[in-house]
Amino acid sequence: MTTINLHLQQVKERTTESMEEMWVNMGPQHPSTHGVLRLLLKLDGEVVRECIPYLGYMHRCHEKIGENRAYVQIIPYTDRLDYLASMYNNWAYCLACERLMEISIPARAEYLRVIIGELQRIASHLIWLGTFGLDLGNFTLFMWCFREREMILDLFEAVSGQRINYSFMRIGGLALDVPEGWLADVKAFLAWFTPRLSEYDRLSTDNIIWQKRIQGVGILKPEDAISYACSGPMLRGSGIRWDLRRDDPYGIYDRFEFDIPVGPNGDVWDRFWVRRQEMEQSVKIVEQGLKAIPPGPVLAPVAKKLRAPVGDIYSRVESPRGELGHYIVADGSERPYRYKVRAPTFVNLSALPVMLPGYMVADAVAILGSVDIVLCEVDR
Amino acid sequence: MTAEEILQQIQSRFREEIRTAEVRRGEACVTIKADRNFEICRFIKEELGYDYLNCLSGVDWTADKEMEVVYAISSLKQPGKIILRARVPQDEPVLRSVVPLWGTANWHEREAFDLFGIRFENHPDLRRILLPEDWIGYPLRKDYQDERFVAYPWEDRKPGSVPRPTTA
Repeated sequence: MTTINLHLQQVKERTTESMEEMWVNMGPQHPSTHGVLRLLLKLDGEVVRECIPYLGYMHRCHEKIGENRAYVQIIPYTDRLDYLASMYNNWAYCLACERLMEISIPARAEYLRVIIGELQRIASHLIWLGTFGLDLGNFTLFMWCFREREMILDLFEAVSGQRINYSFMRIGGLALDVPEGWLADVKAFLAWFTPRLSEYDRLSTDNIIWQKRIQGVGILKPEDAISYACSGPMLRGSGIRWDLRRDDPYGIYDRFEFDIPVGPNGDVWDRFWVRRQEMEQSVKIVEQGLKAIPPGPVLAPVAKKLRAPVGDIYSRVESPRGELGHYIVADGSERPYRYKVRAPTFVNLSALPVMLPGYMVADAVAILGSVDIVLCEVDR
Repeated sequence: MTAEEILQQIQSRFREEIRTAEVRRGEACVTIKADRNFEICRFIKEELGYDYLNCLSGVDWTADKEMEVVYAISSLKQPGKIILRARVPQDEPVLRSVVPLWGTANWHEREAFDLFGIRFENHPDLRRILLPEDWIGYPLRKDYQDERFVAYPWEDRKPGSVPRPTTA
């Protein structure tokens, strides 16, 4: 065989080999991963056949840090988990400690937590909607969502002095009462915000390109959603009406009336639509809270050096991204013996290899966006 | 199903495998022998109907020379929560994987393997998930040592002195 023929044969072998399937890296530096996540995709032409996620680029062993801190000192670290919903992380951690130490908190603090928590949910869903729009090439929506999110950040800055990492909640209540006139500001914000939702609809829901991009894509069957323990809008998008605020109420959520939107098909559209409707429901909850909030103290009298009794607890709340759980084992000292965070996006992301196969590479961006990942929480 | 009924059901079926059983904060807390963890989990999932694995976490009980795996199990259809604990010896921490029952256990077990060194038999893909693959040691074990853990010498500081980082 001549050299040229040998060469041709090698080329032919390689070509047929690579025509069958191809491994492609998506990330770690990919704009739609919203952080640092590497997906290894096996492609057949343009169709995804397999997906292997690689995590850990942001890992700092949050749990080991927690084991070496006093209970109160952990609160600022929880801000850095899900930095788009820091208030809710504070709340989830403080609630777990309060349940463990059997501390009850004042009524005004309970109401303020609900008001702040639901505002945080709106802010978190807004940033999701904006960046999801960016993933799909809808830049205007991104700017509009950030406009309203800035207003919520202004409100949070007024109460805590911070715009992202608030560290505002304490074991036993809140760090401070809200400033005078803040509740009126919240009311004014809600009056401004409610009509904006239909503005977003004109760019997203009613937009034919938006509809065609995300309808019927990335279907997650209800049995898969349960097997992979998906929670939050991922679970409700698959048609399961489950919300810890109603089904395992914490705080004072049992005093509020709100609906739990669900989507019937489990595709990306349903997850989008669930989040879009949840913003309306959060507005309803905040309005009820503003009407009923009593005066009084915001921090229960708790010891400066907190010790938890020997035992353990798994406490969970419905964060904007799903079930945020804290598993704390206490050995009677002022530090937790074991401190585990059940991050909702870590668990939701584990269902991605089930959702991706069979769809185009271009849809992978939409499907990944619909999970609403925050990599600092996934990697902890 | 109330927590008492759950306990009764598990105890009547697996009398020999239960070490302790109690109801705390309305949750059924059961400690089991580690070698039957898969059968007990399957019973809880398929016959009691608690099909939602909230959380799987490792705990290092280094004073007892044991490692523990804690399953937090609940259901989306009925109230009630189950905290299931299984202890394995520290020098040979091996359990059966529950991935065939719950897909979510895949990443949770990989995390427990990564940070605690607990090995799960029959796991489809047991490798490190958060740490780099060439990392040595299991950071969440209580005896884990790293030179970066050496305390910063704040207590040595005299007024006006410049703080200096500790070298190992």
